[in-house]
Amino acid sequence: MTDRTPDNSEVQRMSLESALDVLARRREEQVVVGTMTANGVWREKSPHDLNLACIGFMGGASTLALGVALAQPERDVWVIDGDGSLMMQLGSLGTIAGAAPNNFLHIVIHNGVYETSGSQPLPSQQQVDFARMAEGAGYAQTASFGDAEEFDAALDELLAAKGPTLIQLYTRPGGRFYSARPTPPGITPALARMWPPVAEALAAD
Amino acid sequence: MTAQSIPADLLLSAIREAGVQDVVLVPDTHQRTVLDLLMDDDHIRTVHCSTEDEAIAVSAGLIIGGRRPMMQIQHAGLYASVNNLRGVGLDGQFPIVMLIGLLGRDPELEPEADGSSMVRLCRPLLETLGIPSYLLDGPDDLHHVAAAFDEAAERGGPVALLVGTTTS
Ligand SMILES: Cc1ncc(C[n+]2csc(CCOP(=O)(O)OP(=O)(O)O)c2C)c(N)n1
Ligand SMILES: [Mg+2]
Repeated sequence: MTDRTPDNSEVQRMSLESALDVLARRREEQVVVGTMTANGVWREKSPHDLNLACIGFMGGASTLALGVALAQPERDVWVIDGDGSLMMQLGSLGTIAGAAPNNFLHIVIHNGVYETSGSQPLPSQQQVDFARMAEGAGYAQTASFGDAEEFDAALDELLAAKGPTLIQLYTRPGGRFYSARPTPPGITPALARMWPPVAEALAAD
Repeated sequence: MTAQSIPADLLLSAIREAGVQDVVLVPDTHQRTVLDLLMDDDHIRTVHCSTEDEAIAVSAGLIIGGRRPMMQIQHAGLYASVNNLRGVGLDGQFPIVMLIGLLGRDPELEPEADGSSMVRLCRPLLETLGIPSYLLDGPDDLHHVAAAFDEAAERGGPVALLVGTTTS
């Protein structure tokens, strides 16, 4: 049997809502790629025609955002990644650092669990530190916060500096759980409906 | 029929003529002479990925941002990237053209008759995924490169080009 209780004793954690509020207050015309539990909350807090989502290809949020950032160097691109998702394509840290887009902000929601699939613990059992990993990979700046006010106080300076930047946000898992509904045959997949309007908006600018 | 080696400069010309702006890649031993030229090319940008599923997502992002990318990987990378090929390439209906090297293929045989599973299973897998593929078995087949971009755009989805023998 596995102990399902996350070990939160070491690190301070904020609510996902308060963490995303801090980001939503700075939302302007950035392209934002969301994924997993943060995606639903983000879309409510910051509805925008430049929101994209990584649904159905776990781990792909960061590199989808990288592609947009490399195509649109004048525009800021944010990705709101999951910790389990980033673990799944951890090499993307090296890919992003190598491509070095200075318009790239990588937010990692470190809740320590695979919340979407039922809050199972990550293999690293809470200990993994993505800020240190990103630093080792060669990101231009990294930071970690477990308190929304501290995050709020530091964010403008982090946004003003050159990326790629990774900000690790320690959040409390919220027990959100999503199960896929059956898809009727013949329906156009959500991703195919989602990106063309974003591409059009970017082309029009 | 014996597959002929394609000179790197001819393949590069075909890639240029197809209007490719970014080559998103994980190194393919089989196409290393082309890679050497691409990395020195002033007009085409190379984006180096750690994994092939990253390469698919990066390509999709580039397309959203208005660029014209091409992926360059080897057959093993195709097998490694199936979830993103499905979840991004197919479900997103992204016109991604993939140049895939059939490293180790016996040039005298059809790929499906090859002793190597890496070579043999490539086209059947693409067929299962509903992805059209074209074998580049010599310089005469290079017209498929530009045509693949047209087909990918028309059908809204990935198209594969299989490099049949090691480029020279
Ligand atoms: C390739 C793949 N393997 C497994 C899953 C099952 N799965 C769906 S959501 C999820 C957890 C996501 O965790 P994380 O990225 O940490 O985001 P959170 O739900 O914690 O916000 C898993 C394992 C999947 N969708 N795709
Ligand atoms: Mg998580």
